[in-house]
Amino acid sequence: MSMKISIIKPGLLSTIQDRGRYRYLAQAVPVSGAMDELAHRLANKAVGNDDHYATIEFTYADASFKAETTILISYSGDGAFLLYNSEVMPAEKPLLFLAGSVITLINNPLGMRTYLAIAGGWDVPDVMESKSTYLTAAFGGFKGRALQKGDVLHSSTLLSEISSEILNRLTERSLTYPNWRISRESLLPVKREELRVVLANEISWFDAPSIISFLTNTYTIDLKSNRMGYHLSGKPLVRKVKKELLSTAVTPGVIQVTGSGDLVILLADCQTTGGYPRIAHVAAVDLPLCAQLKPGDEVRFSEISRDEAEELYLEREHDLSLITTAISLKYNKT
Amino acid sequence: MNERVGPFGTNIPIKIYGLSEKSVTIIFGTTIENDLLDLITDFNRVLLRNPFSGLITTVPAYTTLTVFFDPLTVMLSDLPGVSGFEKVSAHLNRIAQTEREKSKTTANEVLIPVYYGGDFGRDLLTVARTNNLSEAEVIDIHTAGQYTVFMIGFVPGFAYMGGMDTRLSTPRKAVPNAKIPAGSVGIAGNQTGIYPMETPGGWQIIGKTPLKMFDVNRSQPSLLQGGDKVTFKAIDLNEFNAYVEI
Repeated sequence: MSMKISIIKPGLLSTIQDRGRYRYLAQAVPVSGAMDELAHRLANKAVGNDDHYATIEFTYADASFKAETTILISYSGDGAFLLYNSEVMPAEKPLLFLAGSVITLINNPLGMRTYLAIAGGWDVPDVMESKSTYLTAAFGGFKGRALQKGDVLHSSTLLSEISSEILNRLTERSLTYPNWRISRESLLPVKREELRVVLANEISWFDAPSIISFLTNTYTIDLKSNRMGYHLSGKPLVRKVKKELLSTAVTPGVIQVTGSGDLVILLADCQTTGGYPRIAHVAAVDLPLCAQLKPGDEVRFSEISRDEAEELYLEREHDLSLITTAISLKYNKT
Repeated sequence: MNERVGPFGTNIPIKIYGLSEKSVTIIFGTTIENDLLDLITDFNRVLLRNPFSGLITTVPAYTTLTVFFDPLTVMLSDLPGVSGFEKVSAHLNRIAQTEREKSKTTANEVLIPVYYGGDFGRDLLTVARTNNLSEAEVIDIHTAGQYTVFMIGFVPGFAYMGGMDTRLSTPRKAVPNAKIPAGSVGIAGNQTGIYPMETPGGWQIIGKTPLKMFDVNRSQPSLLQGGDKVTFKAIDLNEFNAYVEI
């Protein structure tokens, strides 16, 4: 039986996202997907889902929804806390609510985006092998658009064994949530405002003072920022090589330098190709927190090597697989 | 960086750099040339037929081919190297050392019907005046040529095409239009292209095709792909409307 919610208040921008659409890049279809992929994956893991199941990405708070059936959900991210009966619900934990429950998102000043997973995943059609919403071309997700008041969202009826077991145990004991939770903090870097970067192919196009300035100065996230990319304000960079870069593939995390010397961090909905020289890319492990930065937040960049970035990525994936193992052991048939 | 001479025995040296933890880019050159484009198309074809384990997809562009992969799967492979970057580079260099397949005739040929001028091509006069031509001459020259799709970029299905007669070269608009309708055929500098969906844009619009350039319901959503050969055919309003009804 599928679980169901209805949207009472959609909030600023709420879309269905998964881990993105990778196989159509050559047709200029952007990756899209969750901006904070780590929070997306943890929300899924907490209800026993596969990481790629679709979640709802909420932007800031000011949203609410109603359980139309019994629902098993979880959330992760830094844009909001889930509030039920005036009580803040814990994140990264499975949460069981009965039909009729109204859940509200209240502001979390730390970040911007929050992911809501449901056992079985949100059931929307696959478009080009993904459920992610891409608003510019109005495809994917829930009817190719942001969620609106009155929308009714279903879960897929296919529950994993772990999801079923979580559901059974909470139901038997009439609990809202179990005593365990995933520790997201242990996966996050200590310095939230410092992004580790790997210098890019066109690094030699910039003069030395500009490179030093890039690695030492503070930059501010500009108001123009969105799911396509973050515009940064700060000291403009100066190029010593003035030649033009012929458009070539780019990917989320790449930091482009515009004609006026300003930095743009490309994110989930970025174009697949770009013609601006790149100074660096944000390490994959720091991209999730980067997506939690809000306009007005300050950020710094610190350099790591390509090999370090790759090792950090592999370590992160290893840690995530341990979480999955721990949860499945907990819910193995005893 | 890996410096090598000559994929497929050519004397074009390639260079590989990491774009992210999950992608590397091969640079084949620095200028737009048909030979280079053919080499990238061939290399891409050989790579996709002989993928390494963990390969996700590739993105060809003017002078580069970018390869996306899953580092976890790559690390489990027996390719030589201690990092994902080294392992993927090793595979790409191995491909570069194979025989080039002589199969250029496989290039896809696509005919695009276009209604030129009028409300569908409000900048046809600008292109004509810029080049001291009549509007009819612009249409004749534009339909006479064969174009090569250099890459798909900007928005889903937008094909950047080269090989345009330089008599039609027209700079982009200083101030882009806020809305260019889907199907609009444009000129920017020495390239021609088609807007697959309504977006802002700065190209000079000379006409409109009734074809759907991008359709999520097709198995290949983008009508055009990098390396395709394209010709344009002028149609009248009746023919245009007949297409739309199909």
